[in-house]
Amino acid sequence: MPSLKDLRNRISSVKSTKKITSAMKMVAAAKLKRAQDNAEKTRPYAKKMGEIVDSLVKNTKNQNFKFGEKKENKKNILLIICSADRGLCGGFNSSIIKFSKKLSKENAENGYNLNYIFVGKKAYFSLKKNCKDSIIDYFSDIANPSIKFELASLIRDKILELFLKNSIDECHLIYTKFNSAISQTVQSMQLLPLKNIQEDNIEKKSQSYDFEPDEEVILNEIIPRNIAIQIHTALLENLASEQGSRMTAMDNATRNANDMIDNLTLFYNRSRQALITKELIEIISGAEAV
Amino acid sequence: MSFNLEIISPQQIVLNQDVDLVIFPGVEGDFGILKNHMPFLTYLRLGLLYIYKDKKLIQSFIINGGIVEISDNKCSLLTEDITDSKDFKIKDKEDRIERLKSKLVSKFYYA
Repeated sequence: MPSLKDLRNRISSVKSTKKITSAMKMVAAAKLKRAQDNAEKTRPYAKKMGEIVDSLVKNTKNQNFKFGEKKENKKNILLIICSADRGLCGGFNSSIIKFSKKLSKENAENGYNLNYIFVGKKAYFSLKKNCKDSIIDYFSDIANPSIKFELASLIRDKILELFLKNSIDECHLIYTKFNSAISQTVQSMQLLPLKNIQEDNIEKKSQSYDFEPDEEVILNEIIPRNIAIQIHTALLENLASEQGSRMTAMDNATRNANDMIDNLTLFYNRSRQALITKELIEIISGAEAV
Repeated sequence: MSFNLEIISPQQIVLNQDVDLVIFPGVEGDFGILKNHMPFLTYLRLGLLYIYKDKKLIQSFIINGGIVEISDNKCSLLTEDITDSKDFKIKDKEDRIERLKSKLVSKFYYA
């Protein structure tokens, strides 16, 4: 049985842990608010861009533009894996890593070569042993102080260069979609090649634009921008998910620490009482014996 | 004789107001947009963007590329790199070049 002093030490150490976790929870909540705001600010741009690309691609007559499906068999796949730079955010990083591993395995079984670009330290450090030679690039400290659009453009330039050189045939982005502060889902999004557009709502607002210089040039100009904004929104969602995940994890930790303190205090008081009772019995029985 | 102009960047909605005339640095030369323009889609080069209302220049921007869409008397400009010409400082751009350069170095360091 632990002595009273041991118990006291234990309680105080749990208390200080609780202080840390509740502070981290507060910080994460503030950061989550900011990340959500940022994600919302990007939305009008992404929405408008999506509309323009949609109406363009729907009305276009030439089906074989350079970002479309390739005719040859696909062989090389690029995965862009977005994770966090820091830990202590619940299952956030591990679910990304698990998802990436699963996806890599499936693709490897189908005989595809895999290449990787990592964003964020955590996934990089845990996966770099598995995919030593196939890492194309690695970015970290992206959210310091805030996610810049430059980063998305940088990644976009990289993948477009590889795609047009035929070094990769397909590109997927793995990130965590932010549903709410307590629910996030890891998912992959195909950036390249552009999927063939469904022809269901083709009548909807089919404007005939006047183009300058011409349709194909504009398509080739606009699609890279659309890819960059997709990457940017994914990174912002990922950051918001990280903070949300950290907030819930720290909330749980604080609650667990509270439970632990309650239990330990109860145990401490009981053993203190038992000790006093024991001493009293000793004194009384000693006095009786005299 | 005004129409709605909306300038959107990934960071924010830069401008959303009714204007009379906008002059864009188009990729094939500068062009002005007035009310009742036909549906039009083009992209921009690096240059200056002038916004007029009531026959006065109300605002100008320095802009590095972008996409302009015009339909139904609504003009939308999507751009990643836009600065109000009042806030433009050469030093900021030089700093940014330095920052990008140092990023290139650190990237090689990690790889």
